[in-house]
Amino acid sequence: MSTVKDGKLRGDHGAQKLLDVLIHGWAMFGGLMLICVVLINFFSAVGAAIWQPIPGDLELTEMGVAVAVFAFLPYCQLTAANVSADIFTLHASEKTVAVLRALGNFVALLFAVILLWRMSYGAINQYTYSYSTSILRLPHWLAFLPILVSLILLTLSALMTLRQNLQTLLAGQHK
Amino acid sequence: MIDPLLIGFAGLGALISLIVLRMPIAYAMILVGGVGVTLLNGAGIFMSQLKTLAYGQFSIYDLSVLPMFVLMGALATRAGLSHDLFRAAKAWLGHLRGGSAMAAIAACAGFGAVCGSSLATASTMGKVALPELRKQKYSGALATGTLAAGGVLGILIPPSVVLIIYSIIVEANIVTMFMAALLPGILAIVLFILTISIYVRLFPNSAPHASKVSRQEWMAASVGVAPVMVIFGLVIGGMYVGWFNPTPAAAVGVVLVWIYGTIRKKLDRTQMRKALEETAKTTGMIYLILLGAEMLKIFMSRAGVPQAMAEWMATSGLPPLVVLSILLLSLIVLGCLMDSLSMILLAIPFFWPVLLELNGGDNQLALGSGFGMSSDDLKIWFGLLALIVVELGLITPPVGLNVFVISSIADDVPMSETFKGVLPFFLAELLRVLILLVFPILVLWLPRVLSG
Repeated sequence: MSTVKDGKLRGDHGAQKLLDVLIHGWAMFGGLMLICVVLINFFSAVGAAIWQPIPGDLELTEMGVAVAVFAFLPYCQLTAANVSADIFTLHASEKTVAVLRALGNFVALLFAVILLWRMSYGAINQYTYSYSTSILRLPHWLAFLPILVSLILLTLSALMTLRQNLQTLLAGQHK
Repeated sequence: MIDPLLIGFAGLGALISLIVLRMPIAYAMILVGGVGVTLLNGAGIFMSQLKTLAYGQFSIYDLSVLPMFVLMGALATRAGLSHDLFRAAKAWLGHLRGGSAMAAIAACAGFGAVCGSSLATASTMGKVALPELRKQKYSGALATGTLAAGGVLGILIPPSVVLIIYSIIVEANIVTMFMAALLPGILAIVLFILTISIYVRLFPNSAPHASKVSRQEWMAASVGVAPVMVIFGLVIGGMYVGWFNPTPAAAVGVVLVWIYGTIRKKLDRTQMRKALEETAKTTGMIYLILLGAEMLKIFMSRAGVPQAMAEWMATSGLPPLVVLSILLLSLIVLGCLMDSLSMILLAIPFFWPVLLELNGGDNQLALGSGFGMSSDDLKIWFGLLALIVVELGLITPPVGLNVFVISSIADDVPMSETFKGVLPFFLAELLRVLILLVFPILVLWLPRVLSG
């Protein structure tokens, strides 16, 4: 996943590894969240058949899935899971592709930073006006907390992938 | 002030350029959408929208079915049910000439019924069926072509991820779409099996002579596949008859596949972790594209691009069916260059308003409409046609992802052979599109019967 080509950057290797582990762990947290949502829906469906559904299963699903998906985003950025159409640049030089990748990762970084900034205010709004779900009265800011963590990790992973691109470019230049 | 429409079209041009320049499709959409809205309405409104836009988008209830079906597919690829499916299909079809290839098609369809992804279907069934077909001395072209083509069955047989996405874009009922997809899916299985039957008669060397299985094997194989049938019956059947909505149905599916895999001792900790990792990647990718599509939609509809395109097409005087054919053809071409999910999300928001306008608007009934059917029916019919044609890109050059996947499994068969082997199935797919174009009733009949 993480390729550090330049020898003198080995000192950062530890930090990079730590971030890898953190981001992977956070995605697994999202996965567990998703499994919880699955179980809520499963027992609610079974419950509905024999007695009554779990109250508020809809809003728990909405909130849980949103939290889970945000937790997946840094992992997607790190593993380059976001699809692109490679067909047009199949024969481009390695350097061109590195520049294009850097461009894509720069946009990802921009997106992560802006969203982190805006959604922090979003979270404050949710808290001040105490917006909550309609049945269980769960406050929405509760969901915003893990989402903000996800966005911080997304920012870091975009920074990391961008730095890797630039390193590849520089390494190519010194050859 | 520049004409908003002009900004809209400039945005469209920028979007295409960014995609060509390998920008991840989601980020290309987000960037163009964000910049466009800022140009049209100023930064203030957009920045304040961003406080809750992403949360709002990710917490849409109708979307929650997606990660669950993705998880179900990820578990299914690891739960070992591909073996059972192929074994049963072989027992049932093995006595026919080319029977094992037919069995691979049937097993692909069966696998598509628990997994919503064409690629996963092709790769999972490929790993199981390909070695077997090669051992039985099937020609490389036929064996690999069959499996690459079999993968595309996944898109129509519910639960299909792309089908769900289409339903959400055009605001169609997901269950209705699932109902509509069943007969066209079965039609594909029949046509593919006929294709194999004709192929092995034209090229007798491509397949071995058939061998009949013993009665015990027939029974054992049939019993072995029963759990898969039960899972599909409960999840999809339960939706058809209205026991549950898509989201709870998907949850039931996840739990059942998990139980199945645990009993078969296939889903240990490592496999569970891998299934979750795959789910994380696929789900994150889909949701990010959905967010990008939403931002792009806000920009485009404020600029008035879809409305303008719909109006031009309506005043162009072209007959509705010609317009439909043009749109389907362009989907085939674009589908050859991009993956089907992004394609559907990019194209449908522009194509659908055109057809709607030609048909006579949102609440148009069958009487006096452009296509001779109500707009609700058109939504279903066009959706299935569109999904079939975008998937053709998976088995055609230059991208042909299914072909790549199968080639990577069958390292003794050159890719050109696989493309040759897939060609008859490609023709069968074109025939299917033609049949569905001429007989829309094949699509519309089941939803009508089932929803009374």
